[in-house]
Amino acid sequence: MIEQGKISSAQMAIMMNPSILATVILLVPAITAKNAGQDSWISPIWASVIGYLTVLLAYMLNKLYPNQTLIEYCDLILGKFLGKVVGALFLFYYLHVTGIIVLEYGEFVLGTFLTHTPMIIICGSMMIVCAFAVYGGLEVIGRCSEIIVPVLCLLYLVIFLLLIKDLRIQNMFPIMEKGLTPSLKGSIVPQSWFSEFIIVSFFFPYLADKDKGLKWGFISVFSVMFLMVITNITTILLFGKLTSELTYPVMVAARYISIADFLEHLESIVMAIWVAGTFVKITVFYYSLVLGTAQYFKLSDYRPMVLPIGFLLVLFGIWSAPNLQELSHFLGTSAAFYFLSFQVGIPIFLLCIALVRVKWLQKKGSMSG
Amino acid sequence: MNFEFMIKKALLFSLFIISSFILGGCWDQQEVNDLAFVTAAGIDKSEDGKVELTVLIFIPKGKSSQQGMEGGGGGGAADTLFRSAEGKTIADAMSTLQEKLPRHIFWGHCKVFIFDDDLAKEGLSTHVDFILRHPQLRERSRLFVSEEKAKDILSLIPPLERDISEVLKELSSFRIGMDVTAKDYAQMLIGDSNASALPLIKILPSTPGQEKQTIAYVTGTAIFKNGKMIGDIDDSVTRGVLWLRNEIRLATISVKPNGKNDGFVSMNLLRAKSKIIPLIENGKWKIKLYAVGNSNIVQNTTDLDLSSPEIIKPVEKQLKFEIKKRVNIALWEVQERMNADIFGFAEAFHQKYPKIWAKQKKRWDEIFPSVEVSFDTNIKIQNQGMNSVLSNHPLKGVENK
Repeated sequence: MIEQGKISSAQMAIMMNPSILATVILLVPAITAKNAGQDSWISPIWASVIGYLTVLLAYMLNKLYPNQTLIEYCDLILGKFLGKVVGALFLFYYLHVTGIIVLEYGEFVLGTFLTHTPMIIICGSMMIVCAFAVYGGLEVIGRCSEIIVPVLCLLYLVIFLLLIKDLRIQNMFPIMEKGLTPSLKGSIVPQSWFSEFIIVSFFFPYLADKDKGLKWGFISVFSVMFLMVITNITTILLFGKLTSELTYPVMVAARYISIADFLEHLESIVMAIWVAGTFVKITVFYYSLVLGTAQYFKLSDYRPMVLPIGFLLVLFGIWSAPNLQELSHFLGTSAAFYFLSFQVGIPIFLLCIALVRVKWLQKKGSMSG
Repeated sequence: MNFEFMIKKALLFSLFIISSFILGGCWDQQEVNDLAFVTAAGIDKSEDGKVELTVLIFIPKGKSSQQGMEGGGGGGAADTLFRSAEGKTIADAMSTLQEKLPRHIFWGHCKVFIFDDDLAKEGLSTHVDFILRHPQLRERSRLFVSEEKAKDILSLIPPLERDISEVLKELSSFRIGMDVTAKDYAQMLIGDSNASALPLIKILPSTPGQEKQTIAYVTGTAIFKNGKMIGDIDDSVTRGVLWLRNEIRLATISVKPNGKNDGFVSMNLLRAKSKIIPLIENGKWKIKLYAVGNSNIVQNTTDLDLSSPEIIKPVEKQLKFEIKKRVNIALWEVQERMNADIFGFAEAFHQKYPKIWAKQKKRWDEIFPSVEVSFDTNIKIQNQGMNSVLSNHPLKGVENK
């Protein structure tokens, strides 16, 4: 194995939380509200089903191939040629997705705070920091997130606590005005975020306590769902119908806090949460991509790949969408199918073939034996 | 080995130093002494269809100069400056304004926006759009409509507060009139009722000789329908509207207790809560206003002995009646005369009867004037004040009457 380090299942769960949530808190409440209206808080609950499913998929695949990652067992399941094709597809997919994350980060920083700074500087500086973490390996990433994530979650909850006096419960009603359809429709976009949980298949082989992997995976999905429900409830109670018109509802919500005329202008907290959360998110994706690439080419070490891929990621980020409208439109429409087919569709396909293969091998084994 | 270690340390050290340059924000660095802090902005309609933007800018001053001012000017000397510029849109005017200011305009502290009523009659949604869109402007900034030109209001020098934005902010936090932030207004604009309301302000007449030393105060509410101002209601009618919107906080209510025509009992409202409950019965749309609260007696000019519970009862009844009267005036003015649903009836019906609402929402303009309002108020008198000597021992003359 290329990666020598081991992490605990709990560390993995902590790592995965901002890996999903970091980008959710920006655009997704508004996108969900567009479809689900005042029911947008129900959508994450539906969407989390996909999260559980993906973790389960990754776990079952890992059961069959305990020491391999997604890229490695593609070869074993599909055979040399097809395996390489699907592996390459996955690597390109992760290159693109990580590029999108980098772009989302850049667009947000650019759009709200550093309006004059060139994009390449914002994205580039983030990539350098992430490159250091990836270079350090899995254990370093795990420990980094152990320090960062609890602080993030705490700050995040504090924002919502401070907003309580401005919330209007009436905005939530009528619940399910048009039945289940709007909230289900609204769940499609969060589903694509939840499907990102498939990335745990890169970490399962390196868990010190493999038997707890599934449990902690589910806990992680639940924590993401919980925070998403809180986010959506708060934005709906605060803004009502206006939620779907805002670009960054959570950001505006934090700006809206005003306690006794002095505790106000708290948007820098959102910024801190966002930057730290995205750091974890980019690092996790970046690491998986680098590790996957090294495994794809059967290298003895992944470290030489870190910088070149980082460079590529910045370029992919800047290329993937010309502006925020395009990005938001992409994420709100076709991206869901794109993400879901890669992160759920192909793994299901892989699992089916793997199960058939195992059955077939067993049959063959029993016949010969 | 040792050499390598040294190099590593030197690299690390230089990294710290380099990062300190970057942390300043390179392209977006903004020094405080290069910024002009806008504390309030006024938007007027100018003759040729353009808008005129007036901003109030805080002048930071050293302590010594401030003391000098106090000695000379007798307080209230201008530590703000105001400038205005015209443009096709606010953003356009803003760039023209920047030409006249040596410092970079910074909107992060702008808490008050004043629109003149000519502009309000044409609709404010496009201007509110600017407030919500611009990254520096805050959704919590309060909006006002003024009877005079916003420019004139901003040029006032308030005697007590730092500047006019502080005055308006404090006044609206009393909740005597409406208190509407940009977010609230945007919510009203896209709400079910198609009507919205903003506090209306006016310049308080000043003492002669000190024309500029006065403030603007909230005199009523400007009513909007379909985004355009269609009329206004005065202070006392606004109180009724606040009851319906559950926004009443401070109120002094004076009633004439039954049968006694020669005096008032005045009460201060301690806490009040109101709720509107919609009901559709046999095709009739009804609203029940449910209000609860506590009040304190603060003055008694009658000869009633308010310490006895039997006498408190009719006073409470009168209090209910008085509140009902206030609300009815508001209903008459706004519901019947203007047909603008600023009370949130539409939302209430939508929330309780989503199916009926979906069919009838196009007819809301026809339904709204016929909505019947009934009352269920329960305002208790909690406290009769610190001292009741005079009314308990009335003067002889009063007793003989």
